[in-house]
This record gives sequence, structure tokens and C-alpha cells, in this order.
Amino acid sequence: MTDSTVKFPRHTRGKRPQFFESPEIDQMMTFIVELTTEVSVLSERLNTVEHLLDTRGTISREDIENFTPDAAIETTRMASRKAIIERVFRMHGER
Amino acid sequence: MVASSSENWQVPNVDAPYRPSHDERARQGFVGVLRAYASRDMQSELEAHYQTKVAPAAQEQQGEAPQSAREIEKLLDPDPFYRFYGALRYNSQEMRYLSVIDPVERVADEMIAIGKEVSRHQPAGGTLKLDPDLALPRYVTTLDVHLAPGSFYSEYIEDDLSQGAMLAYGGEIGLGGSVIRTLNLGAVGSSIGHWLTKKYPQFKPRRVLDIGTQSGRNLFGYMDAYPGIEAHGVDISAPTLRYGHARAEYLGKTVHFSQQNAEFLDYPDGYFDLIVSSFFFHELPIAATKRILKQCHRLLSPGGMMAHMELPSHSDCTPWENFAWDWDAKYNNEPYYVQFRSQDFFELMEDAEFDRQQAFATTVPNLDTTDPADYPRYVSGELPPLPHGRGGWFIFGAQRTA
Repeated sequence: MTDSTVKFPRHTRGKRPQFFESPEIDQMMTFIVELTTEVSVLSERLNTVEHLLDTRGTISREDIENFTPDAAIETTRMASRKAIIERVFRMHGER
Repeated sequence: MVASSSENWQVPNVDAPYRPSHDERARQGFVGVLRAYASRDMQSELEAHYQTKVAPAAQEQQGEAPQSAREIEKLLDPDPFYRFYGALRYNSQEMRYLSVIDPVERVADEMIAIGKEVSRHQPAGGTLKLDPDLALPRYVTTLDVHLAPGSFYSEYIEDDLSQGAMLAYGGEIGLGGSVIRTLNLGAVGSSIGHWLTKKYPQFKPRRVLDIGTQSGRNLFGYMDAYPGIEAHGVDISAPTLRYGHARAEYLGKTVHFSQQNAEFLDYPDGYFDLIVSSFFFHELPIAATKRILKQCHRLLSPGGMMAHMELPSHSDCTPWENFAWDWDAKYNNEPYYVQFRSQDFFELMEDAEFDRQQAFATTVPNLDTTDPADYPRYVSGELPPLPHGRGGWFIFGAQRTA
């Protein structure tokens, strides 16, 4: 242990399973899931900005970072996250 | 809330430096919802599809419905919905840890400094015994269990506890997705501890050992159930123990942490009245499980009890339930899980010299979700046990004959 600061690995030891015929599709799924996450994160940031404008009329980076959703806002956000997932991962066909 | 010692020194909170940014919290919240969506909503849909279409079609063709998890997987494998279900579950599990790594890494040095400071004072009277020469068995190091990079034991610098913190925060991203932190300390321990006090009112343990304790939170429930009990936790991983020690001392919980391989414990014979574990044995090869159960027998005092929370065996579940549980073995880096679930737990305990008449395997109510008015009826057996993971926790164990 000669390192002076913590640096975590970002990959998991062990073979990654393949869910689809082609590994490219598996990789593409990761891209899509990550991209969907980014959209959700961005929309929550916008939502925070709207809340701050509604309640204070001004925004600052610090206010955004320190914004802690109350239980009601958090419940709304959880529903929005789920709604994004249901729209983006809409499956073909009826089951 | 800051506890204080007899001096003027205030116990620093090892969790205090962890401050994910706005967007990191939003990401963690999304990952929690995605996990719930894949492993609950999509799994329910997959089950409905299987029960109404796939199983009846197989029955028509082969004369009987699939009996094993393997057969079910074979039937579902070509189904695109099943593949997307798998891909979403797997990705969301990876992201569970990836979404906490950055904010932990940023403050790891600060957390480690707090851990060292708390360890010097030990304000709650707990202890931390580490063994730098302890060799990790191959079954621990081959794969990163639960897809957590670095698994549960990696250390990156001197006195490191960051892997323990990373796992604790990643663990909080449960199947829900609220970013409002609610530290649910020891739901399993509370449920089993409470059950033991009701089921065995004469049993008054003075010393408890939690095997595979990681950061020790499972012990807190037993400490609540049996006030004044001397609590010991053993694990092979130093960083989780260091993190657990710092947190327990801050919370004012007296826990004695020790880094050991559970197959070869150094406590004297009959040292404990109660030995517990949770979500532990299914990560080990059966040979190790057998050795550890023998250790339990050796370490229990006459009349002492062991109670291990685990996954129910294949024979106690429907083929669909087995398929759903065993998915993790293959896709969550838990290679011993299926072998463990194929065991007869009574035979395992008998093999470790426990008396079969004193052994039990049952499902205890989850204390957080059970109506207190119904509780006595579960204890008396008037109500049937709740299924594991859906209102109940499966346990197996035995009382050592006096």
C-alpha cells in the first residue's frame, strides 16, 4: 500500500455476462441506461432551479448544491424518475 | 447529534464528510428507482408472462410444467423481454456502487483521519482488532461480490476504511430511490433479536457474536433486544471493520470488532451464548460453511443458540421463486449461492454436531413491516410464516444442548 490517496477501481472483477446475441448490444444498453440517467439528473437540476425561483426569486450555484428536497418534493421526484424509465424503456408488443 | 466523552473532546462522525453533490444525489435517486423497476416491476411482468403463457405451453408440450430454475431460464432465454430485464437489472446494480464511488473517493482521506482519531479514543468502549497477516481465501478474491468494484475487502492506503463506507452508502440505494437518507440500522438483527425474545423468553444471552459482520450494523438489533449484551463482530475485511468501528463509537454502541477468517476463530470454547449471521453463508463454498458451523458448535455455551438469516433452500420454494432467487448467483457474482440453497440445512447442522431435535428453520416476521397486533400469532404459529423477502426473513439455527 504505497498510494497516498484512495483511488477506487471502476470495474468489477469477474466476467461480465452477455444478455444479448452481440456484445455490442450489451455495451449499447449501458450507454442508453447511463444517458437516461443523465436526462433524469438534468431534469432534477432544472426542477431545483424552478423551486428556488418560486420560493426565493433568485438562484446561485451554492443554493442549488445545498438544496435538500423535502418529503413531498422527493415523492414527486421519485414518480418523475419512474415516469422517465417507463417512457424510455417502453417495450414493443403486448404481453 | 454528537455524542461526547467524559473529556471535552467531541466524537467526530465518520459519515459527516460524505456530501454528494446535487447531481450525484439525483443520480443515486434514479438508480434506486431503476433497481426497483427492473427487479420488482419487470420481474412481476416476467412472472405473469411465464405463469400464463410460457409454463402452460411447456406443460402442453412436455406433459409437465418446469420443475427447476434451470428449465425456466432455458425457456425464457430467447425472450427479448427477459434479456432487457437482465440488462437493466445488471446495469442498475453496477450503477448502485458507481454512483457513490466519486463522492466517497473525494473525502476518503478525511474519513480515514476521523477513523484513526476515533480509534485512539474509543469513547464507547468498543475495540478493533486487526490482523494484517490474515490471508484471504480464493473464494473471496476471485470475483467482486454484488458487482461492487473492489468487493468488500479492498484497501487502497494505510488505515483505509473507504471500501466499508462505499459499501454502506451503496447499500442504502435500495429498491426505492429516495435520496432522503434513512439509516435503517440492522432491520434483520432487530427482527431476529425480537423474535428470539418472544419465542425463547427464558433465553438470556450475555455475549453475542455476529459472523461476517462487515460494519456491524446487524449487531445493533441484538443489542436492542438484549440490553447490556456484550457484542462481538468478526469479518475477514479490515476496511469494513474500521468503518464499522468508527461509526459504532460515534453512535455510542459498544462493539468488539475482530478481523478473522470465520473458519478458524480464535475465541475460547463456549465463549458465546448467541451466534448470528445475516446474508452470509450463501457467499461461501459448502466446505467453508461446514467448518464455520462446527466453529459455532464449539463456541456456543451449553444452552446457547445460533440463528443465521439466509436464503430459503430450493426445496422450500416454488420453481419460479428458485429461478428468481438464483438469478443473482449468475448475475450478481455470487457463485456459491445455488449450491448453498440446494443443501438440507438440518443435515448441515447435524454434521456440525448439533442435535436435530434442537434445530430449527423458519421464517420470522420483519419487525419493520409486521403489525404488532399480529406478532404474537406468528410466534404461536397461529399465522403461517411470512415468505422470505416479502414480510419475513428466513432463519436456520439450533440451540446447543445443555
